[in-house]
Amino acid sequence: MGNMITAEFRKILTTRLWWALLIPAFIMALGVAWIWSAITTGISNDLVDEELIQQFDVPVDEISWSVIALVRGMNLASIFPMVFGALGLASELHRKTITTSFLTASSRPGLLAAKSITYALWGLIYGLIIAAGVSLGTLIGSDRNYLPDAKQWFLILLAGLFMCVLWTIFALGVGALIGSPVGTLVILLIYTLIVGPLGEIALFTTTGGSHAPGFMPNGSANGMTGSTASVLLFDQIQALILDRGGQVVDDDVREGFQQFISVVAGAHGAFSLWLSGLIFLAWTGIFYVTGMLRNQARDIT
Amino acid sequence: MHDGSGRIVVSNLTKSFGQVAAVQNLSFHVEPGSVTGFLGPNGAGKTTTLRMLLGLVRPTAGYSTINGQPFEKLGNPGRVVGAVLEAQGFHPSRSALNHLRVYAAAMGLPDQRAHEVVQLVGLGGAANRAAGGFSLGMKQRLALATALLGDPQVLVLDEPANGLDPEGIAWLRTFLRAFASSGRTVLISSHLLAEVEQTIDQVVIISRGQTMFYGMLDDLRKQQQSRVIVQPADPSALVAALQAEGITGIQPTPDGKVAVVDATIQQIGDIAAKAGLAIYGVQEEKADLEQLFFRLTSGQYAAPGAQMYGQPQGGYAMPYQQHQQQSGGFQYQQPIAQQPYQQQPHQPPVAQQPYQQTSPYQAPSPYQQPAPPSPYQPDPTANPTHNDTTGQGGNA
Repeated sequence: MGNMITAEFRKILTTRLWWALLIPAFIMALGVAWIWSAITTGISNDLVDEELIQQFDVPVDEISWSVIALVRGMNLASIFPMVFGALGLASELHRKTITTSFLTASSRPGLLAAKSITYALWGLIYGLIIAAGVSLGTLIGSDRNYLPDAKQWFLILLAGLFMCVLWTIFALGVGALIGSPVGTLVILLIYTLIVGPLGEIALFTTTGGSHAPGFMPNGSANGMTGSTASVLLFDQIQALILDRGGQVVDDDVREGFQQFISVVAGAHGAFSLWLSGLIFLAWTGIFYVTGMLRNQARDIT
Repeated sequence: MHDGSGRIVVSNLTKSFGQVAAVQNLSFHVEPGSVTGFLGPNGAGKTTTLRMLLGLVRPTAGYSTINGQPFEKLGNPGRVVGAVLEAQGFHPSRSALNHLRVYAAAMGLPDQRAHEVVQLVGLGGAANRAAGGFSLGMKQRLALATALLGDPQVLVLDEPANGLDPEGIAWLRTFLRAFASSGRTVLISSHLLAEVEQTIDQVVIISRGQTMFYGMLDDLRKQQQSRVIVQPADPSALVAALQAEGITGIQPTPDGKVAVVDATIQQIGDIAAKAGLAIYGVQEEKADLEQLFFRLTSGQYAAPGAQMYGQPQGGYAMPYQQHQQQSGGFQYQQPIAQQPYQQQPHQPPVAQQPYQQTSPYQAPSPYQQPAPPSPYQPDPTANPTHNDTTGQGGNA
């Protein structure tokens, strides 16, 4: 297995794709986080001056609004590890290098397992670079008082890392299932950039703000980071209100607020981190297992 | 684990793609120390058979083994069997050497081995060039280098001469003979008998997914039959005279001559002299091996004829026994467009010059004589983690 993982790493490192996707992933993570942190900073600064907000006695300028930038940046930049994963097996099938790969592997399941491990590790590498990008972008774009504390920051990045790994394996499975790199990329990009987000908004509004979008692959993936951010923000605001002698809000308010932040973070109707993670894990499992089964039985002609 | 015999066994192998029967009940075996030609026209099922042997295509029925085991049970198959297949891909931007390093790693071999095989196939000068810029011939050499990485005991090649220049083909011939003579096994497919005739000892000829001939090439050669073309003054009188002497294999030719298959020039001359018949010309025609091959395989795309397949006319070939038992439906048809005889009046029989290297290319074989069945011994001084010539890492 070690030999085959080494071979898989060599396959990746002897071509340009890994850095050709890693560089734009970093730039997009940085740029999106920068823009979103600048937007949240601007809005918050305006809100602080509003009399209405001041009457509520909520310290808007002490809340870590920039977590939204971290979430938006990671969610959008995660298309790069997804593309990377999509090409993992599909391009080998397309270029027919899979023939030699199967001829030199101890077994087909062995090769597919080695590929999965390798791509999971690469998903992690992409996740780390994207995490660095969003962190840098948020640092640049956000006012200091809106930055999350270390623990909040770390939790969101951790959820984002997990999401990047899952997206990579998810796409590897879709690529294995479809077998054509172009077909795989078109389907995945149209889904994650257009059909998924718009569909989730439509589903969210038509079902009266239900959790339905959170069951979708894209919705559950974005929900991992989005709901982490909304919980963190709610807890922070709750603590600030309590500090000032306020009361604990009831569950309805909590739910409503978290849904609102999820929408702002681009994760409509998301479940909690763990539920979203499990749902996306299940989606990944479905595509990964069917993709691998398809390749186990595929005639290489 | 495999038995290390170097033996290939194909037994009743059948593959259907939907309604299309690509391979039907094919059986043959290949012994170590020999080069076996696997011949048939395009679409006869050669590639599908080889891919089933290599575990790439699942047979509908039957089985195949290498060293007594099916491909998927060979453990580290690249160390047992190397394959050069059609449409075997290379990443266009990956260099030849990096391509070899990838698969050396997969087989657990040191990088040193990639350097060795790239030199062995004569690609040393292009080792660091991207495979996408290679000519077809260079790609074939790179595919061969990949097949040789694991120092395999068995070599399977599907149309390896495609794209090779004459020098490359001559080199490949020498190489394969040397490889087999060291006690290893070579199975090589081709749609042209002439292309591999000088390389092979044994031959399996298939057509429409079925075995047409299986045996030694020499046996196939022995089945060539000559015929004598006589130009008599009075054809009917000559025919009558020959028949009176018990010679029955007589056919008139379209240009008014008489073709005789079961008599020598001398016999015919004597009979004609005895009958007092004038003869203006006599010549012997020999069917060459390629014509024979064409006869064996020509039914593939022809419409079924009236004649059932059995012993081909004139006894030109001995059909594979097993096939005869089950192939009731095959329609053997005489080639219509092509005259199977060739004018060769002054040529000695082909069978008298076996395995002669007629190529002008006489360069010594670059193939280093390997220690026969012993697996490749990794060089203890070579460490894959310290042989990264690309500067890109590779063991991350």
